[in-house]
Amino acid sequence: MTVALYILNIEDFRPLAETAARNTDVTVVLRGPYYEVASELPFRIDRDATGCRNAIWYSAVAGVAHGTIENWDGKELRIVPTAVGE
Amino acid sequence: MTELAHTVRGVDHAAFPTYDAKATVHFYRDVLGFPVVHATCALGWGPGQHPDFIHFFFDIGQGDRLAFFHYFGIERYEDPHIPDLLKRARHLAIHVDTEDDLIEYRRRLDASDHPCELQVRHETVESIYVTDPNGYLIEFTRPLRAITAEDDIDANLSVDALVEVVDEDQPSLQRFFEIKARLIAERYADEPTEASFV
Repeated sequence: MTVALYILNIEDFRPLAETAARNTDVTVVLRGPYYEVASELPFRIDRDATGCRNAIWYSAVAGVAHGTIENWDGKELRIVPTAVGE
Repeated sequence: MTELAHTVRGVDHAAFPTYDAKATVHFYRDVLGFPVVHATCALGWGPGQHPDFIHFFFDIGQGDRLAFFHYFGIERYEDPHIPDLLKRARHLAIHVDTEDDLIEYRRRLDASDHPCELQVRHETVESIYVTDPNGYLIEFTRPLRAITAEDDIDANLSVDALVEVVDEDQPSLQRFFEIKARLIAERYADEPTEASFV
């Protein structure tokens, strides 16, 4: 399935969407006030690449459709689509 | 969405019991510089085992007040079973406008017997924390940025998702994110627009 990560489109969280968009497996569109970061493959957002401080990093996820957060620590946010049939 | 008129105007006062009135007055009036603005001295007014009390108030800005009850003739009660998580969750956050104000209150605390215990830059605010002489957690907080319409939209969707997820058999943050994603997709089901990072 295509996983969709939602990130609120405000200045604080924008670096996550921008960093994710550099991944060619990922498409980023605006859905209302949110970035919709979609991918058919697992993808990761590198914390250092975003430059986000702790509180921003750990409050940046608005929602995840058709997938799960596999890892979200001080180094990366890793999003994995739900396997077909699950 | 609610249609109810919203006419309340902030905190009139928040009130807490104290078993150490002397230390409480010292901390709020002398260390922090909060003016004493009111005190009700009630003889035989309270119910049952604590008929006599002093209810005293400190100004915490904009006319809002922090109040304490001192009851005569009752023994200190402390519940040793309250989890630390709950003690930290229950706190009063007092607003300051600027970084300079925050630094000044930190300076006053650090010069006292109740130094600042923690300073944190949260998402939208920066805060300092101290435990008052009664064991209550007090926060001073200043805004890091303005809260936007987008923040309010997101907060409302979060609360809608929270109310939905807690009704499930196994509520979790992952499920919360799934529900909120569904709410976002439903609300903004129109064609998305291209994202630009220029």
